[in-house]
Amino acid sequence: MIRHPAIRPFRAFRSWRRLSAWLPWRFVALAAVLACLAPGPASGDEIPATPGTTAPLPHSGPTWLGPPAPARPARVISLAPSLTDTVIALGEVGRLVGVTRYDTSPEVKTLPRVGGFLDPSPEVVLGLRPDLVLWLADGGAFPAVRRIADLGVPVLALPVVGVPDVLRAARVIGAALGNPAAGERLASEMDAAVRAAELAAAALPRRRVLLVIGRDPLVVAGPGSYPDALLRIAGGENVVTGGRPWPIYSLEKAVTDDPDLVVDAAVNEPADAIRRLAAIPAVKAGRVVRLPDDRVLRPGPQLPAALGQLQSALRDGAPAGAPR
Amino acid sequence: MTLRRITVALAAGLVALAASCAAAVLLGPQPISLASALAGVEPDAAILFGLRMPRVLLGALVGAGLATAGVALQALLRNPLAEPFVLGVSGGAALGGTAALAASALIGPATMLGALASSGTSVALGASVGAAASTALVFALGRIGGKLVPEAALLVGVVFNAFAAGVITVVKVMVPPEDAARLLYWLMGAIGYADPGTLLAGAVLLGLAVTVLVALSAQLNLLSLGDDEAASLGVEVGRSRGAVFLAASLATGAAVALAGLVGFVGLIVPHLLRRLFGPDHRVLLPASALFGAAFLVLADAAARLAFLPLGSEPPVGALTALLGGPLFLWLLRRSDRSA
Repeated sequence: MIRHPAIRPFRAFRSWRRLSAWLPWRFVALAAVLACLAPGPASGDEIPATPGTTAPLPHSGPTWLGPPAPARPARVISLAPSLTDTVIALGEVGRLVGVTRYDTSPEVKTLPRVGGFLDPSPEVVLGLRPDLVLWLADGGAFPAVRRIADLGVPVLALPVVGVPDVLRAARVIGAALGNPAAGERLASEMDAAVRAAELAAAALPRRRVLLVIGRDPLVVAGPGSYPDALLRIAGGENVVTGGRPWPIYSLEKAVTDDPDLVVDAAVNEPADAIRRLAAIPAVKAGRVVRLPDDRVLRPGPQLPAALGQLQSALRDGAPAGAPR
Repeated sequence: MTLRRITVALAAGLVALAASCAAAVLLGPQPISLASALAGVEPDAAILFGLRMPRVLLGALVGAGLATAGVALQALLRNPLAEPFVLGVSGGAALGGTAALAASALIGPATMLGALASSGTSVALGASVGAAASTALVFALGRIGGKLVPEAALLVGVVFNAFAAGVITVVKVMVPPEDAARLLYWLMGAIGYADPGTLLAGAVLLGLAVTVLVALSAQLNLLSLGDDEAASLGVEVGRSRGAVFLAASLATGAAVALAGLVGFVGLIVPHLLRRLFGPDHRVLLPASALFGAAFLVLADAAARLAFLPLGSEPPVGALTALLGGPLFLWLLRRSDRSA
């Protein structure tokens, strides 16, 4: 057999033939065993218990991650515009030291940005030396947020999906900031606004509504989404059914649904682009209300204003008694 | 002679790795002082030890795995254009990982977030199985008349990538939107913040795969001559190829599970090293592990720093694709001329 020096095995692998006879099958078995032994949640229900973060990721209620927070935190970071809104509404904006790059409120214009929903930068967060981080619980940012909590920053995780979550978030954030009275007041204000809207809804014509969130592709608010919950309270009926909160909707289905009114909440897209949806009879007939801002998409203290927007759309958006 | 070249290559690789790790650990969006970090002053210590070091380790692991997988696949296919990303092996791993994520989402919606949040066992397993299956597919369908035709295998890989992307898009529509967004970020190829357990599991799997490939490097020299030639030189072609193929799949699968789709590392690094150290796989493989680690650590640091003014950072996969795409085309044109 030819044994050219360039192809001679290393000295360490001289017993190569034995090694190669051993390798393939046992290698596979070993890899499989190692993969099975790899740490990770068996049921997927719990976060691996690391010091400081033994609590599972919240599915329904607010949860603390990391060490306990001080009674009156002085350096607070908000990881969602709606949570920033809540802190502002509680009159505690002075304690914020960082917000997301999506925050547009004038009160926080000059504050440092710490990233977005999906990609908060743990490094920037830690660098701001916060003693409380408010997080709108979401699977996307979880690895980064868990790391922040593990490194010794108290994180308040708030799942906010529906209207009751918004009221609860106001109370919980108020309490976490050491100002439970303000939280209670804000929650009752919003609660009163919800009741008032429900009363007003009785007097409104019942209209079937398509809530457009994005036009290209057509994304609409379905059952289980925050705008859908607001629409129900406001007295409208969502034409979208099914199990998905933010479905990509077929234009044909939208035409067949034949809504009385189209509410255009795609505020970041040009207003006249709604013409793309002209196949929907309501759009063709001009029964479209364009919302002035993204309030109906921000589950926070903008709730009363968002309900007002939807009710005025239901009241005035289409001619009274418009043909069904 | 060979031993000296290996020593030189490994020493150079270690220096490159040390330099890039030092740069990545010291530079970041948040200016920190090394002295105060070492003295335990917060937040500098937490940023250095809690954030940057684990991230550097993750980048190094993924880079080493992808670069050695690239060398191995290039030797098996006898084509410099072969690479886990181009050959569809990364695509298969992504598909496997996505399937695991989707399965956990469909099985238990109530437990889904927890399962999704940890890129643990199921994703790593799914990605490794996906990588092995797509490698098998590429090598099986890349045969024409019983002989492996590298161009056909590459084409199969390209088509399989498109297919995998389609399936992943369908899965993305099926899972809840917040999971879809997370899936997208993972697939873009981001070096993020894995927990210590995941890092350890990744290190074990990648270490195993790289060790096997280095052990097989002398055989790769023979296999790259061609099946018949290798057989006539005493290589049990089927068995050796099987082992290389499994180790390369494992390396790719573990790398994808840790960091998503980071493309072209297996193209850029081996190509540069061949120019520096020649084509001997006994030098190339261990050097690829070290330089691949150094390359990805540096690329991730660059991705983090270059976009600092925008308050965001692109996933490192975008950066490697920016570098790797043109290199691939250049290599293609060059092989065209030499043909």
